[in-house]
Amino acid sequence: MTDDGLVDSLRSASGRLLIAGVAVLALLVLGVAGLVAPDSTAGRLFFVLASKSTLAATLRLSVPIVFAALGGIFAEKSGVINIGLEGLLIISAFSAIYGADVTGSLWAGFFVGILSSTLLAALFAVVCIEFRADQIIAGLAVWLIALGLAPFASSVFYGGPNTTNVGTLDTITIEGLASIPFFGAFFDASPAVHLMLIAVLVSWYVLNRTTFGRWVRAAGENPKALDTAGVDVSRVRYAAVLLSGVLSGMGGAALAFNIGQFTGNGPTMVNGKGFIAIVAYLFGNYNPVGALLSTALFAGLDATQLRLQTADVIAVPDSLVQTIPFVAVILVLALVGRTRLPEAAGDHYESGEE
Amino acid sequence: MSGDDPSTDGDSPPDPGDGERATESDGDASASDSRWDAARRRLVRLGQTSVGERVLIALSALVLSMAVGTVIVLVAGVLATCRDPALTIGGSTLCYDPFFVFDRLFLGALGDPFAGGWSPLNNQFAATLRETTILVFTGLSVALAFRAGIFNIGTQGQLVVGALASALAVLWTASLVSGTLALVTLIPVGLLAGALGGGFYGAIPGALKAYADANEVITTIMLNFVATLVTRYLVRNHFADPTSQATQTRTLPDAGQFPAILFDPRTDFSILALLLALAFVGGVYYLLEHTSFGYDLRTAGIQPAAAEYGGVNAPRTVLSSLTLSGALAGVGGALFVMMTLGKFQTGIPSYGFDGITVSILAGNNPIGAVFAAFLFGVLKSGSNVVSFATNVPPQLVGVLRGLIILFVAMPEFFRLIGRRLAAGDPESGTAVTAGGGADD
Repeated sequence: MTDDGLVDSLRSASGRLLIAGVAVLALLVLGVAGLVAPDSTAGRLFFVLASKSTLAATLRLSVPIVFAALGGIFAEKSGVINIGLEGLLIISAFSAIYGADVTGSLWAGFFVGILSSTLLAALFAVVCIEFRADQIIAGLAVWLIALGLAPFASSVFYGGPNTTNVGTLDTITIEGLASIPFFGAFFDASPAVHLMLIAVLVSWYVLNRTTFGRWVRAAGENPKALDTAGVDVSRVRYAAVLLSGVLSGMGGAALAFNIGQFTGNGPTMVNGKGFIAIVAYLFGNYNPVGALLSTALFAGLDATQLRLQTADVIAVPDSLVQTIPFVAVILVLALVGRTRLPEAAGDHYESGEE
Repeated sequence: MSGDDPSTDGDSPPDPGDGERATESDGDASASDSRWDAARRRLVRLGQTSVGERVLIALSALVLSMAVGTVIVLVAGVLATCRDPALTIGGSTLCYDPFFVFDRLFLGALGDPFAGGWSPLNNQFAATLRETTILVFTGLSVALAFRAGIFNIGTQGQLVVGALASALAVLWTASLVSGTLALVTLIPVGLLAGALGGGFYGAIPGALKAYADANEVITTIMLNFVATLVTRYLVRNHFADPTSQATQTRTLPDAGQFPAILFDPRTDFSILALLLALAFVGGVYYLLEHTSFGYDLRTAGIQPAAAEYGGVNAPRTVLSSLTLSGALAGVGGALFVMMTLGKFQTGIPSYGFDGITVSILAGNNPIGAVFAAFLFGVLKSGSNVVSFATNVPPQLVGVLRGLIILFVAMPEFFRLIGRRLAAGDPESGTAVTAGGGADD
């Protein structure tokens, strides 16, 4: 078994290195092409990639995925696999729009979005922790409930799966810094982007440098020991799952305010972002900063395909280009393979049961 | 395996020692390094509880989700604004009447059996059976994978690929044959193409799981998105019906469509397709319970380590069960094309996700899947009656679908209620324990 574990971790480490290496190499090749032959397809592709607006789009597209991934890290580190992140994003995206529509304030709507996602996460927590439901099936149920409930509510209030438009968050622009090539995108962005970057740092700090973070990790790795130390394992897990609801709520609300409207046809506007988030934190090895970087890879590919369609560099039908982020997720999973997850993830913990 | 050491931090809580830790894991340390093994063990255990208890839990889950559904309809009725309220309670007006909604949902789907002059051949009942037919296939697809310990969430994508493969194969074959030959070849060709297309699309996550350890929950969900996009591209750019604005293929010739027998042809239901579905149920049941492949598959689901020790080729079992699961979904897609639509069109209803509920409700049992599929057929066909008769959004059924899964997934909740009832009311208590105690 030790050998298997070693082989697995070597394989996943080499998988990560391989993906990072390929990404860097591809950028280098394109960069050289851009310098040598600016008019070639590869050269034009490089200028699309290196533009400020591609970075801006990447950051914008990253927001919901990163928030959901941060939530997923807390839940799974505490021993509860939350596969319902997609559902949390869906419900908060709708509620945020509805809240903003009713109160007339985007920030109040933001709060309503967080509240609804936290409530759904609380239901998930009770079902998993109190009633010992299978976490994967309960997570799928959370997703499917939200997938039905959001368009249902939208039809009740707006007569169809799409809501009215309530407007978007104003971007924060810092004069001067915003005109820096490429990196200027950081200083000319929606407050949601800044909130995301702050949330990544805070999450990292909480997980690795605070008592609560230590409890969360212990609840997932060795709940027995945590129990022996006098900490209630269930309460730690409840807190972590609720936190995943709060964080996903921010992500869903930010997603909805990005265009100012909830669209609920088919897979809704969330369109798999919650599942991509799961792969992002697995690929990022449960590290918030790692999750941010791997999300940037997926979102960067998505941003590139969006820019390619408008910039008209390569003539590929949009249906096919749109598959790129999904295919990338599958490739990453195949290359990284099995990840080392918290020891007790997926297991119930029964205090006092000997 | 790695990670016997809980944490490298010096100030982490003390490790009480391996002897005690073993008691709280499920006693199978060798499998605990896999991401979903714990969940899988419980999943399989879910299927191992007695038949009586399983039926009781499924029925309780149904009743409970209907109750929650009623509350949702009531609340939505209070919050919504409408011109003519359906219900007035204590001075406040409600836009929707939940009892009327459930009346339409269930009785409407059966064609109002209590209204007099009812015939089982009525059109709404035909629509219910039509939905049931497809749902039997997606339910079987999910159940087969579940029994092997695999979460196939990609039934939807496999159905979509199977549907397109079937439509293209029938259209292509129809250009070669005609007359009686067409009558006997087109439908088998369509079914085979659907099975091959769906099977191929199920083999992708199967191979990824078997040989690259890629988690199938995520890969199958991602492949659902890919299937939607790629089929849209193919139909729009290569196989479009030039006479239509919709993204669809040309209509299949009559010989390539299931004939309507007994029922009104306008209902798009063929009793032959339903019989075919029941034959598949028997086939899957036989495969699982009476063949060595089925035995390997079930053992791999219950005890992966023991199965491997006993000589089961685990990767090959994973690959073949997901391929078979995908093929079943693909046949469902073929029927959707050859019976319901008569062509392939983008935007196929979410039969795959309903299949997850069907399978979970049936405890992953092929025979149970028939009843669960009929229930969902009622819900799907009834939701059309509801949106015709009331202004309640038909997405209500989507909410019920999720709620049912949630409640079936928490048997502990019902056992708790059962124990409470047993404490207060001895008679109902014995009923619960009798159901729970019987072994099958």
